[in-house]
Amino acid sequence: MVIVKRRELSLAEKLYLPEIGRALSLSLRAMFRKRVTRQYPEEPLPTNEVTRGQPRLVVKDDGNIACVSCGMCEVACPAYAITIDGGETDRAIEREPVRFDIDMLRCILCGFCEEACPKDAIFMSNELELADFSRQALVYDIEKLKRPRSALQKRIDYVYRLNDRWRKPSSTR
Amino acid sequence: MPTLPLWAVWVIKAAVIYGALLGVAALMSLAERKVSAWIQYRIGPNRVGPFGLLQPLADGVKFIFKEELIPDGANPFLFRIAPALAALPAMLAIAVIPFAGEVELFGQRTNLSVTDLPISSLYVLAVGGLGIYGIILGGWSSNSKYSLLGGLRAAAQMVSYELSLILSILAVVALSGSLDLRVIADAQQAPDVLWNVARQPLAFLLFVVCMFAETNRHPFDFAESEPELVGGFHTEYSSMRFALFFLGEYCAMTVMSCLATVLFLGGGAIPFWPEAPWWAALACFLAKMSAFLFLYLWVRWTLPRFRFDQLMNLGWKVMLPLALLNLFATAALIALEVY
Amino acid sequence: MTKILLNGQTVEADPKKPLIAACHEHGASVPHYCYHPGLKAVGSCRICQVEVKQGEMPPRIVVACRTPVAEGMIVNTEAGKAHDARRECLEFLLKNHPLDCPICDKAGECDLQDYAFAENQGEGRTVEPRRKLEKRKSLGDVIVLDEERCILCSRCVRFMEEVPKTPQLAVVGLGSRSTIATFMDRPLKGNYQGNLADVCPVGALTLKKFRFQARVWNLRKSLSTCAECSRGCSITVEVLRGKDVKRFRPRYNDKVNKWWMCDRGRFALERHVDVATGTTAGARIAGALVRGQGAQGLEPVESELGVAIAADMLVAHEARTVIASPFLTQEEAEVLLRVARALGTTPVFVSPAGDGLADALLHTGDPCPNRRGLTELGFGAASAADCAARLAASQVALVVGERAGELLAAELAALGASQRVALFDARALDAVAVKLQVGVPTHVEKSGTWINVDGHAGRLTIARAAPAGTRALTHSLQQLDTLLAAAAAGSATTAPAGGAR
Repeated sequence: MVIVKRRELSLAEKLYLPEIGRALSLSLRAMFRKRVTRQYPEEPLPTNEVTRGQPRLVVKDDGNIACVSCGMCEVACPAYAITIDGGETDRAIEREPVRFDIDMLRCILCGFCEEACPKDAIFMSNELELADFSRQALVYDIEKLKRPRSALQKRIDYVYRLNDRWRKPSSTR
Repeated sequence: MPTLPLWAVWVIKAAVIYGALLGVAALMSLAERKVSAWIQYRIGPNRVGPFGLLQPLADGVKFIFKEELIPDGANPFLFRIAPALAALPAMLAIAVIPFAGEVELFGQRTNLSVTDLPISSLYVLAVGGLGIYGIILGGWSSNSKYSLLGGLRAAAQMVSYELSLILSILAVVALSGSLDLRVIADAQQAPDVLWNVARQPLAFLLFVVCMFAETNRHPFDFAESEPELVGGFHTEYSSMRFALFFLGEYCAMTVMSCLATVLFLGGGAIPFWPEAPWWAALACFLAKMSAFLFLYLWVRWTLPRFRFDQLMNLGWKVMLPLALLNLFATAALIALEVY
Repeated sequence: MTKILLNGQTVEADPKKPLIAACHEHGASVPHYCYHPGLKAVGSCRICQVEVKQGEMPPRIVVACRTPVAEGMIVNTEAGKAHDARRECLEFLLKNHPLDCPICDKAGECDLQDYAFAENQGEGRTVEPRRKLEKRKSLGDVIVLDEERCILCSRCVRFMEEVPKTPQLAVVGLGSRSTIATFMDRPLKGNYQGNLADVCPVGALTLKKFRFQARVWNLRKSLSTCAECSRGCSITVEVLRGKDVKRFRPRYNDKVNKWWMCDRGRFALERHVDVATGTTAGARIAGALVRGQGAQGLEPVESELGVAIAADMLVAHEARTVIASPFLTQEEAEVLLRVARALGTTPVFVSPAGDGLADALLHTGDPCPNRRGLTELGFGAASAADCAARLAASQVALVVGERAGELLAAELAALGASQRVALFDARALDAVAVKLQVGVPTHVEKSGTWINVDGHAGRLTIARAAPAGTRALTHSLQQLDTLLAAAAAGSATTAPAGGAR
């Protein structure tokens, strides 16, 4: 048991009024401080490469998505938001998704898909806004998920930097 | 300017003053949110109209269109009439506030107040004291323990602080020798006379504290006290009747601010400009009143609420003796012809 | 039996089998690529190295698949030296293996992945480029070869030599340019090519039909029995997302099919693809379909009501016949037998002509998976012509079982509008005589037993759900039996729906 001994109040404190004056001056000064409110639709959230927004598929410079539909993100996804059907392509990578759906209503923006992807094909964009009039419209297909590499470049560089931190120096490449 | 009969001028005066009162009450609801926002580093409502000035209008429209609920077991008649009882006295009290001296309006010379009574300070206190009925009845008729407790607290608080309020006013009345607010205000306008705030600082202090208690405002808002009583006396109210309680509260605050201005700050008196035109005096009056209104908000968002026993201690053991002492001291000083 | 000391435990081993078989039999996991229990061991991959101490000699590392079991052998599969040897071996195997697991169909069931993971062989030391070979080389209609992925274990070569005994594959070329190839690049032939994809420990040989169809870890596997011939090979049915049947794969069964199955059974997937229910011919029946009086359209009704209507039909006419599908399970056949007795007839099952694919290995050429079981229960085998005669001679016919309508499509279509047939089948059929159709689950949607040609029971389990509203055939037949018994007892024939449960 701890007995907390309260401090004896001084006369000025017992009189209330000086203390009230102090409080009032404090709140008056607060009125002229810088505002912290963000006017949301006009002033969107500041985003940077660390922002984990909605996942997006990288479109390489040749116009194709980098995804080979390996299903790693589908497995990694803790919310079961991703559905992939693979298919054959004549390109060198042989395999590409014929269907790549992310249910944005299920997506929890955890970034596991980005981490799981062996092909650097899916990255977390800085896009955070999500609103529509039907649930089905928020199941994004390939066309809705495609983003040019340049739009995601900062995030890609960031993830590479992050991964390099953990890479063993003895590694050959 | 066309000449109108006297009764028409009175009607116009009354309409303008009551319109202004309601306007001030509406603006206060916005100011309350704005001031709270500023003190908390926020911006406050700014979506409806420039700087959110139309927010009260939007709120009013919303209140009107809200569904009105009357709880089971409530006394429907009292439940319905209580908000009006709370709002009405404050509006009535504004009638005798002397905003400015004699002016020429539409060819008639008239005082800038709805009416003038020789006992206007008594009238303000009497009518203003009725406002508590609305709160008690609203609390009782809701058939809710929270509302009832809120009403009871309001009653106890009113009884405790009304005394000190009246005694502090009495000192001022004694000083000017009249119950007429206009006389009290005019007495302070003479160039060689100090305002009552300087001559009666203790009375002013007591008045300001009681003013907060009388209008159920922070730090004495025990009738509402959200953390303990949900919403206090208005827990069960909704829609426009709920809004009416607030209208009454803001009107009462306005009246009290006017009263403080008249009693202690010389009404429309402008220092070192005794022959100021009536519009300047009116503007000065409104500025002083606004300062008191701002004080209401400023204090609300600064101080925490008292505990109820602290409230009672303060009321009976500090305020009342001080007010009595002040009155006797004033009387003695008057008798000794110091004043 | 020979006694050996395996990881500190004395176990009995079969001296006719290599050491690795004894290890696997007694729960010691020894990795293996070239070794396959159904094929001759060649010891080419060297991954199965274990530490063996014999007699007074110091312990040494040997390949378990080429070491015969000897009395008193002391085997340590987890010795540090053994692991080191396996890791070195893996490093060489991975030296030229393309790291295209994200694309590879084998990923998830790949031995190279599994053992590299198990032996912690995660990194290589080479910086030289990997060899470049042909990635998409077609080996006939069934198999596609990825030469880069091949680790030259030669399982496929030995499989073709030893199991179907039609040697067609060989390792050609020298050194790092060695590849698997057919002579003159001729396409592979035969009914057993699909097994090549199974025996291949990596993703070098993959099935064209399964290529990129699904990731294997997404497939839910259910034990089942192949329906394509009376051999009744044990298989797993692999279903994607609870809906799409993606693969049939053989399951080891020493008495029936060992590790193998034929391509006919493996690729009999088409009929399981389309599960859309409807009232048009060929669509799956959800509950039951009733042919309206005079009108040509089929009207959907509840399954219970359909069976009640069937009971009414069968009671109302004297000349009855009962024809079963050869896909009926024993459980269904027994109930049908009771129904047939109640109707006073002897049931037969449709016995279609052989498919001409019979061989000495597995395929019997007889497309009736439960011929033996039905025969033992007392069902007679009837050719399509027999069935046509029976149908023509009857006023009302009960045709029961999956694919019954398909097998007798021509015969049923030939019947006139005055004849009545109650058909219990999975898919709808549009024939004037078929007044009533009740939906049944297919063999991947039900559980039951088939008896194969040698008398071995093959179990069916539910791999995916039947269309909503479809009841198990045993339930429908039980209801029919109850209704017929009630009719025989003289009470009302239209018992309340569902009363049979």
